[in-house]
Amino acid sequence: MKTRVLGAVAALLMAAAPAIAEYPEKAIQGIIQWGAGGSTDVVMRSITPHAEKLLGGSVVMQNMTGGVGAIALKYVGAQAADGYTLLMGAENPQLYKVMGLGDSDYSDFIPINLIARGVPLLVARPDAPYNSFAELVAYVTAHPNEVKFGSTGPGGLPSVITAMLTSEVALPVIAVPYDGDGPALTALQGGAIDVMPAVLGLAIEGIRAGRLKAIALVDTTPNAALPGLAPIAEAYPAYAKYLPWGPFFGVFVKNGTPDAVVAKLQAAFGEATQNPEFMAMIEGRGFSMLNLSGDDARAFLTNWQKTTAWLVFDAGAAKFSPADFGIERP
Amino acid sequence: MMESLQYFLISWLDPQLLGLIALGTFAGIYVGAIPGLSVTMAASILISFTFTWDIYPALSLIVGIYMGGVYGGSRTAILLNIPGAPSAIATALDGYPLAQKGEAGEAIGLSTVMSFFGGAVGIAVLAIAAPTVSEFALRFQPRDYMLLAILGILLVGSLSGESLMKGVFAGALGLLIGAVGLDPLTAQERFTFGIIDLWGGISFIAVMIGLFGISEALMQLHHIDKLAIKQAISRIIPSWRAVRKFLPLSLQTSAIGVFIGALPGTGGDIAALMAYDHAKRVTKDPEVPFGHGAREGLVAPEAANNAAVGGAFIPMITLGIPGDAVTAIIIGAMFIHGLNPGPMLMIDRPEMFWFIVGALVAANVFMLIFGLTGIRLFVKIVELPRPVLIPLILLLSIVGAYAVSNRLMDVYWALGFGVFGYFLKLYGYQVGPVILGVILSRLIDENWRRAIISDREDLGGLLWGTLSSPLSAVLLASVILIFVSQTPLWGMAGRGWRRLRG
Repeated sequence: MKTRVLGAVAALLMAAAPAIAEYPEKAIQGIIQWGAGGSTDVVMRSITPHAEKLLGGSVVMQNMTGGVGAIALKYVGAQAADGYTLLMGAENPQLYKVMGLGDSDYSDFIPINLIARGVPLLVARPDAPYNSFAELVAYVTAHPNEVKFGSTGPGGLPSVITAMLTSEVALPVIAVPYDGDGPALTALQGGAIDVMPAVLGLAIEGIRAGRLKAIALVDTTPNAALPGLAPIAEAYPAYAKYLPWGPFFGVFVKNGTPDAVVAKLQAAFGEATQNPEFMAMIEGRGFSMLNLSGDDARAFLTNWQKTTAWLVFDAGAAKFSPADFGIERP
Repeated sequence: MMESLQYFLISWLDPQLLGLIALGTFAGIYVGAIPGLSVTMAASILISFTFTWDIYPALSLIVGIYMGGVYGGSRTAILLNIPGAPSAIATALDGYPLAQKGEAGEAIGLSTVMSFFGGAVGIAVLAIAAPTVSEFALRFQPRDYMLLAILGILLVGSLSGESLMKGVFAGALGLLIGAVGLDPLTAQERFTFGIIDLWGGISFIAVMIGLFGISEALMQLHHIDKLAIKQAISRIIPSWRAVRKFLPLSLQTSAIGVFIGALPGTGGDIAALMAYDHAKRVTKDPEVPFGHGAREGLVAPEAANNAAVGGAFIPMITLGIPGDAVTAIIIGAMFIHGLNPGPMLMIDRPEMFWFIVGALVAANVFMLIFGLTGIRLFVKIVELPRPVLIPLILLLSIVGAYAVSNRLMDVYWALGFGVFGYFLKLYGYQVGPVILGVILSRLIDENWRRAIISDREDLGGLLWGTLSSPLSAVLLASVILIFVSQTPLWGMAGRGWRRLRG
């Protein structure tokens, strides 16, 4: 009896071994957390074809939006940990716990590759009566609750940047929520909102064409894509302690995915980030390449979570204290 | 000018590109005809597939799929009462009754020709007035989207059949179904009862497949012994007289289509429903009443949804703002191919604009050709005996519901709404208003809240803002006018006016 069981186990193992070696043996599903045409979408759709070639299989990408990306995270979390469902996400899940959007974050996932980081900036409609952050603060102080800031919901990039800004200066503004940064920038061009904290990569074409006005770069150093735009830390050194900060894009699989599969995915996506075409796209759009995996990626994620969770909590924008989830103050 | 023409002709002079457009259009018609398989899905798969290609061949294929797919939805809507795509919902309302009378061939022929006209109008506006239209579309504020959605919800009056009360009930139910899921603005749970599968809301394609396809199959069980309707296939290409008769209407509804298509956030589905309503309003004496196979009710939405294709390209190509999901994917494709879609694209790479216009024109012509051939074969589907046809409808519905996002959950929704839709129909409720409610629910919800938040949650401020903006004021006036025209007040006002004059 015992030998029979052992035999069966051995047979199963033998059957399983080539299955892992041959990964991927069917199409891989890539779940993109944000809508078509947004920053996350563009980065994922540009890198995946390179990774597909290296993997020798196809990745079918699908946008699953809603709940600040929580729906996509839940969905991937509910699938089997076999490497056939990839989560193609942005930074948002690291704030779900403090924002009351569920009890899951990237600690439940294995980072395959943290691809790139976006540089945040403040953009305004071109005819707005302010040209720099100092002028914006003066204007908002003189006209409280009149300036409309675009937002993408709790935990989205605009909410974090707004929390960061209000940690040092009082900014009584109205936050108008949109479905994503794409629709919000459209609304900005149409004058429905006045200012929008956005990623440089998505706003840059509008800025170049003069349809959007860059007010401040939320970074410590100037950016090659927008020379002449002063980083906010120059005039307001108090912000330097949070910076450089930025949204990031990464590919993840569920915890428990076989090591061999993880290694193969990490190798493929790691090499894909080095593709010259992809690198040119990343640079041209004003993103900074990260290409982190393994322990480096884990450390980056933990650090990012500490800084940001406490930032939004101190600004009064969080529902729960990061301490409740064992997130230490940086 | 010569240069523009040269760019325009790129796709026409290269046999490979022309072949790809033809292939895309052909595939699009069939992808569009199957409910659940959407053009959006096909386009996003093609992006990865055509990654190593040059930009021209990749765009040729996608443009073809887009044009063909929007048209293809009408096929199953007319033949089986299952709209192949949301933009064909309005087509089913009068198209299917025509097929039930044995005039499916003529209905498909007419819808093909009118789709071609609509497509042509959309492309013409794109080519001539793209910058103007996109500037205008950008001016739409949240309150304007809200008013537009309210205008849409008033279509319940046109869709509710014999009883307005039942229509209002069905529309309200649709709004409620659309509200299920995480709140799009604050991510609070609404009507989810802690079930994670409900977070993403109820897939509206699944609702559509259930209410139209499955409930239709169940209804047909009542007549299982009746012989199938013999289809007249003598007349497929509509007569010149018929085309001339419907041309003014199709031009009007094409204009609606282009404009609704150009607005970021609204697309062919809303355009087609609004066009249907417009047709009902302007047609004084239809030969056949609406809902029983009026040709006007077929012409209007078909012209509008294909016009919306050209419309959706307008903000995309002039500003890099997607007009709908498919153009959003095309923007992604352009990024991947090293272009920077945005306001500078027309200046930096004018050839892209004219290339797309040229490819759209080619796709529109192919759509006409492929649309008019093979009708005889398709029409045979309706002549199938019911014991074969009913399982076929069910199969198509279930496969379609699963294909929406490869989730079994959507199949359950489709089946559940199928049974529900059967009882609705049995008790004289129309399913059209339910779908209308689901489509418009989120548009109303989000934009009402954005509008009121923008005005510091002050209703007076919102009202003042609406009245002081010409655009909002016109929309508000249309809402009031259409609302009043559906109440007895309108008739009283009309009589009063005549008395005053006479």
